[in-house]
Amino acid sequence: MCVVLYVLSIDVAGVGMAIPRKTRLYIWFRLLLLQASWNFERLQGLGFFYSLLPGLKKLYSNEELLSVSRKYVGYFNTNVYLAPMVAGAVLKLEEEQASGIADPTLEIDDFKEMVAAPYAAIGDALFWGGLRPLAAGVALFFAVKGILWAPLVFILLYNLVPTWFRTVFFVRGYRQGMKSVEFIQSHRLPDWAIHTKETTVVVLGGLSAFMVFSQLTQQQLPSWLGLWILIPMVILSLVARKGVSTLLLVFISVASIFLIGVFWADMVHLIAS
Amino acid sequence: MASSLAFGALISLICGLDRVAILQIMISRPIVAAPLTAFVLGEPLIGLQIGVMVELLWLARLPVGAAVPPDDTQVAIASTVLGIILGRTLNASGIELLLLCLLIAIPLGKVGQYLDHYARQYNIRLIKQVDSALDRGSLLVAELQHMRGLTSFSLAAIGTYAIILLGGLLIVPLLWPLLQQPMSYSSAWVQLALPLVGIAVILGTINVSRAITLFCASFCMSFLLMWLV
Repeated sequence: MCVVLYVLSIDVAGVGMAIPRKTRLYIWFRLLLLQASWNFERLQGLGFFYSLLPGLKKLYSNEELLSVSRKYVGYFNTNVYLAPMVAGAVLKLEEEQASGIADPTLEIDDFKEMVAAPYAAIGDALFWGGLRPLAAGVALFFAVKGILWAPLVFILLYNLVPTWFRTVFFVRGYRQGMKSVEFIQSHRLPDWAIHTKETTVVVLGGLSAFMVFSQLTQQQLPSWLGLWILIPMVILSLVARKGVSTLLLVFISVASIFLIGVFWADMVHLIAS
Repeated sequence: MASSLAFGALISLICGLDRVAILQIMISRPIVAAPLTAFVLGEPLIGLQIGVMVELLWLARLPVGAAVPPDDTQVAIASTVLGIILGRTLNASGIELLLLCLLIAIPLGKVGQYLDHYARQYNIRLIKQVDSALDRGSLLVAELQHMRGLTSFSLAAIGTYAIILLGGLLIVPLLWPLLQQPMSYSSAWVQLALPLVGIAVILGTINVSRAITLFCASFCMSFLLMWLV
């Protein structure tokens, strides 16, 4: 938290900043509530307006403020962790427009729309598709071992990157305005998303092996049996790829195991008697 | 019992809001929410067991755009509360009761999906109020409308929690005497199967070329290492 506050409060020499530090901090905190009124019509639109409002109040007043505000309650949707960068850049552009140094051909709305969709795609792939399963996979190693710190491992592992993005990218967005797009491009985030997903697959492979091995050891069964588990897992993943629901797969798997268990117990009982 | 239900409701509310509306620091993930609930109710290991089984199940369902995944947060919290309360009431311990609670709660997670959908639909009304507030020149009212959105998400979270809990409290005590013995034959394998099904679904939906090959290679290498060491 201290790091977040420090990064947000840095002013850079030579860069004009009409919006004071305190207001920028306030906007950053408001961005944590971006999705509080998420709806199917304008998605994060209200939240984006709500977050930017303290900054807009510093730049405009009266009728002009109301007119700018109306512009921001429209449709908006991006990844929640990359929204601060869009907000920072938009604030910078508004600041330039308010002080009359902006490019007259530039429409801030167009910029917002132009970056929101690609940022959403990049962020969703990186955070939801890559980082979240990766952090969960690592934390589950601890959880399966019965270590009570596993939830904390997950929280720490996961939140390091999004907090960095929320903070540094917001500051960058505000400092660089439209040029912040180049900053995000230089980080090659789609490549990172792919690498994270590949690492996730490897971690999940290790986790599955660990869980199966532990189970066989507990049940005092020969370890080599564990390699057979790959067959149902591959079948299940191919079925899931076809769009079959998780719920159905869970119930088919559980019902099969339950029936095999009952049948096996009956067989053992029959042989014993 | 009432205090356990109330603490569960409080955690369900906080985690439910983290899921969509505020923060997104992932305290809503089952691996966090279930142990947190169980820790508050005094039996943290139960939460850890539930968290392991639920965490991976719907992890492949990404909350992208307007997509609303089933509510695994409330499934994890409610099944933890159910497991602890019914464990004390029915004087049962062991994984069988937890599994039964979880298997009742999992399909009810779909209710959460509908309620979350409804909350987002309801929030459309706020837009009209914001538009008219801006026409009247009231920025404060417009800001407050945004915060009102939290009410619908809170109600959706608490509603899902209550429905899963009610379903569990009605069904589990009826099924428990019938299923206790048969479940004991397969409980350890079902406990293993749930996260493995989740992993299989992730493999099937993750956008990585040769994901299955990579997974199998990692599985075999890890397995052989554990076997040899």
